[in-house]
Amino acid sequence: MAHQAHSYHMVDPSPWPIFGAAAGLLTTSGLITWFHYNSSTLLTLGLLSMLLVMLQWWRDVVRESTFQGHHTPTVQKGLRYGMILFITSEAFFFLGFFWAFFHSSLVPTPELGGQWPPAGIKPLNPLEVPLLNTAILLASGVTVTWAHHSITEGNRKQAIHALTLTILLGFYFTALQAMEYYEAPFSIADSVYGSTFFVATGFHGLHVIIGSSFLSVCLLRLIKFHFTSNHHFGFEAAAWYWHFVDVIWLFLYMTIYWWGS
Amino acid sequence: ARLWKLLSYIVALPGVGVCMLNCYLKAQGDHERPEFIPYAHLRIRTKPFPWGDGNKTLFHNPHVNPLPTGYED
Repeated sequence: MAHQAHSYHMVDPSPWPIFGAAAGLLTTSGLITWFHYNSSTLLTLGLLSMLLVMLQWWRDVVRESTFQGHHTPTVQKGLRYGMILFITSEAFFFLGFFWAFFHSSLVPTPELGGQWPPAGIKPLNPLEVPLLNTAILLASGVTVTWAHHSITEGNRKQAIHALTLTILLGFYFTALQAMEYYEAPFSIADSVYGSTFFVATGFHGLHVIIGSSFLSVCLLRLIKFHFTSNHHFGFEAAAWYWHFVDVIWLFLYMTIYWWGS
Repeated sequence: ARLWKLLSYIVALPGVGVCMLNCYLKAQGDHERPEFIPYAHLRIRTKPFPWGDGNKTLFHNPHVNPLPTGYED
């Protein structure tokens, strides 16, 4: 019986990449038919297939790693590079929206009344709910670090407590932001102020939801004994992503909420 | 892990608690809404929204969000 003479993982053929691409095509064309032809069928199909691909692809990665042992230290190193590169690309994604914000707010046009915030816009008080949200995310950064140390030290009960607290804080942030969105006296259609505010904070909120989901999957895996004290990269990746989400919020808070008010 | 557990319960979570109290106290006196001035740069409707009647934003709140023609209520 032949065995490989290297420490890499030659993955079995899988349908998920091409199905994922198809899901992307359905979703993008679905957005077009929804915006321009008043039909949401394609979009629903696209989002549904995207969800199914993600669930099945990542389920397979867990099978290959935790159940079949294919994730050698070499493989893990590659995954670390991958996650770092991905998070870097997300940082650039947000950089674009910060660029847009500064472009419009540093030189406010006459149409806005030559001022920032524009005439007629009453910005949110940064010392009310936005400050609470800052405290929540910072606290969740502390609790996720507590969870990590607990995992490394083999303390199962504390790890579960700490990770659960982290996820609850994440949900609390999302709930508060949703309430803020509903109560805000300005909307996305209120000049470039509304555009920059809701697009930047909106994408951030989406990333909080993604991060919370990732952490929730980690909690489930933690409870099911998937992690060892020195091999738990899925958790580390989730924690990195969560810290990234926190950092983006800090920049949002300092620039859009505070300087921009 | 002990350090981070202590930081969580002694600094982080009480910090959240203080901010929650601050929000609650500040929210007590906040209920007048600005008068409606039909500025051209606000309430932009270049194209209808793809939901509802196409005239309301996704998180529309009739009490604080006027339509292009003014408050609804």
